[in-house]
Amino acid sequence: MGVLVADFVWATAQYDSGDWDSAPMVAPNLIDSVARYTTIDVAPTGVIVPLGSRDLFKYPLVFLTGHLPVRFTEVERSTLREYCRRGGLLFVDDHNHDIDGEFHRTAWEEIATAVAPLKDLPNNHEIYRSFFTFADGPPTTSHELNGWGDNLVHKHLQAVERDGRICVLYSSKDYASEWNYHPDNKRFISLDNTRFGVNVVVYALSR
Amino acid sequence: MSALERLRRARQRLLAVLAARALVAAALTSVATVLIALAADALLGWSAETRRLVALLPWLAGVLVLALQGARAYAAARAATDESIALWFERRIPALRYALVTRVSSPPDALAEAALDRLIADAPLEREVGVAARASLLKPALTLLGALALLALLPDGAVGRVTAPMAGDALERPGAAAAAARDPLATIVVRVQPPAYSGLSAESFDDPATVRALAGSRIVVEGLGRDVRWLREGAEQQAESSGERWRLALPVPARAEAMRLSGAGRERILVIEPITDSVPVVRLTQPARDTVMRVASGALALAASLEDDLGLAEASFELIISTGEGELYEFRTLRVALKRFASSEREAALEGRVNLDSLNLKPGDLIHLRAVASDRNDVNGPGRGASETRTLRVARADEYDSVSVDPAPPSEPEKDAMSQRMLLQLTRELVARSRRIGAEATTREARRIAIDQTKLRQRVGQVVFQRLGEDEGEHQHFPGDGHAHGQEGPLNPDQILAAAERAANADPTRSLDNHGDETPVVAINRPLLEAYNHMWRAATELETGAPAAAIPWMERAIAALQRARAAERIYLRGRPPNVVVDLARVRLAGKNEGDPTARSARPNVDPLRAERLARFDAALSVVAGDPAAAADSLLLLRVTLPEDERAAILALDAAANALRQGGDVTLALSNARRALVAQPPRRSALAGWGF
Repeated sequence: MGVLVADFVWATAQYDSGDWDSAPMVAPNLIDSVARYTTIDVAPTGVIVPLGSRDLFKYPLVFLTGHLPVRFTEVERSTLREYCRRGGLLFVDDHNHDIDGEFHRTAWEEIATAVAPLKDLPNNHEIYRSFFTFADGPPTTSHELNGWGDNLVHKHLQAVERDGRICVLYSSKDYASEWNYHPDNKRFISLDNTRFGVNVVVYALSR
Repeated sequence: MSALERLRRARQRLLAVLAARALVAAALTSVATVLIALAADALLGWSAETRRLVALLPWLAGVLVLALQGARAYAAARAATDESIALWFERRIPALRYALVTRVSSPPDALAEAALDRLIADAPLEREVGVAARASLLKPALTLLGALALLALLPDGAVGRVTAPMAGDALERPGAAAAAARDPLATIVVRVQPPAYSGLSAESFDDPATVRALAGSRIVVEGLGRDVRWLREGAEQQAESSGERWRLALPVPARAEAMRLSGAGRERILVIEPITDSVPVVRLTQPARDTVMRVASGALALAASLEDDLGLAEASFELIISTGEGELYEFRTLRVALKRFASSEREAALEGRVNLDSLNLKPGDLIHLRAVASDRNDVNGPGRGASETRTLRVARADEYDSVSVDPAPPSEPEKDAMSQRMLLQLTRELVARSRRIGAEATTREARRIAIDQTKLRQRVGQVVFQRLGEDEGEHQHFPGDGHAHGQEGPLNPDQILAAAERAANADPTRSLDNHGDETPVVAINRPLLEAYNHMWRAATELETGAPAAAIPWMERAIAALQRARAAERIYLRGRPPNVVVDLARVRLAGKNEGDPTARSARPNVDPLRAERLARFDAALSVVAGDPAAAADSLLLLRVTLPEDERAAILALDAAANALRQGGDVTLALSNARRALVAQPPRRSALAGWGF
């Protein structure tokens, strides 16, 4: 029997509360980056997958973002729990970029209830070397740097690890805003700011 | 005191002696039964269940003897007349020379009575009664005292095992210490002290294979003998020794653990499993559903029901108010109707009220509302439970049209469906009249209907034409960008007809185009294209003067139009732009498809199950030779099972206990194997991503 090999599909989580669709261009942008830098077979469009659907299990990496409070339904919680148990990776990014905002607070609560409490991810974690090397840990975003942003730099990402592998990755750095542009506009920036997204994809597919 | 009075008094004393003797006999029987039971327990080592039955025997034996002796005393009392008592004294005091019997039985004669009384007055009646009482009671009373003294000399624990057996007294068995010198693990007792907040009382277990205790409990394992060590998480420790006993204390671990005890060359496994304190279960009953408010005014009633397994600590309603839009949001968090509970409350209702006017809500604001409760767990808690969240939103002025219903003309597909029904009705009437009006008139009228059918088909074609054009417009293009989209520009009528042909013959589970996921526009257009095709077939039949043959096609067209109406009712939430990345262009690779590393499928769970069965079978092979080792093997296997395989865990526990207790273990072992073999719940695997 041959091994089934499928294209990697970028999946965005749709959850009942909040504005889950606040960063629609992240998917094509990250697909572009995965295609640009890696040889991974990748589907040319992303999909939207309800967090409470068993379709979630089809995708090794699921991206979740939004501005508003996150309140999972019981079905969403149990599906996420099972997703983590099966080895999936949920990448959650706070689209607000703040400290202790409501997305942040409620998402932490819900992740702790559904899976386990988040903990600081050390900046020498292998996810920062899984493809590109980020020696100083998670790359900063323009929303963090003074001038464009508010000079509020989050030093770490957070994660829930299970059996030595990240199953929930949490970011307050607002990558959702940082990556939310059409990939054709990538030619206007000197250093591709989506490279860390490639690391997350490679990590999710290879660990 | 006259002779007769002395006689009757003596009679009463003799009856009292009989009653006392009955009581002493009953007590002696009870104590003797206890002593016999003690001896038997020392020899046989009765189980707790047997001892609970044996504990009733002393009481039963005492009551039985008391009843027999009491009946005997009662019979004696009834038979004891003045004459018989007088004769009893005459036998013991010959000096009376039948004066007492004569005094009792002779007819009244004052002179004779006085003479007899003088003779009887010197007789020692009371002394004889005392002598008789001593003779009757002394021996049994001394025996009873001896038995009680013996009982007092025995260890309290040993006596308690027989008189008041309870869990945890396995170590009190007389003679157990001698046996413990050979095997200090032969008998163990586990005492569990639950955490104070739980309000649960301490429990003890005799010789358990598995101990389940609330997380945060303190566990004390005790046994007889010395030099016992225990291995836990790879570290070996010596148990404390005190007198004839060893003892070790530990907190309940966070997850089920096998503790390996060893001493005098023996080993024993004890599984300790934590019971997690459940978080409170909270159900929000009011408001019952999400709501959009036009004006945020008035009071909002809140209600929730709360439940906890050990006790609630406090509860309240939590409101998060989000104000803003786009990238700018501000949040406020409120907590209302805070309620603290007494320690014993496990179920409660929470009610509150929020004045919406005081919240100063603006259009577009969102309230996320839920009830939260915490329990009294001060060990690894408190456990916090929360209800489902209700969302209340204040509508914006620019969205009022979406919450109010305005009259509107029917949509294009609605009008087409009505027209198609009319054409079908006309055709049916024509078929009904055709025999009467003749073939020529039928053909003429059929062609007239065919003209209307063709006009209707063209209107449907326009709708499809317009919509497919919109879809193309939504799709972002750059001239010459290399996107392989096939059709550039709007469709011409021939292409629409070709698409309609494909739609009518296509697999309904697949989309019409090959661009990927089916968009709502395609979902709506597919039935319209089908209708278009069926209308064309119907018009063709009508043109040839065969209205009866046209009817099935017209019915299919109506059915397709109905599906189009249903497709109009697709509501999407935040549909993102459909950007398709041209992977070949991004990779600057032309036709090079790359060489991705194959992702190997993960093994399914069956090998794991097979390994468990192999371990179980290995344990079975030593059941006959060393049941204790087999029990330990089963317990080690049990610790490796995941929590959701509860049936297998319980079956292995039961099998290990059965092996320890001896006897026929066939049923317990077969149940355990059956539970291990049970098929796991089927889940779709993650092996191939994207499938």
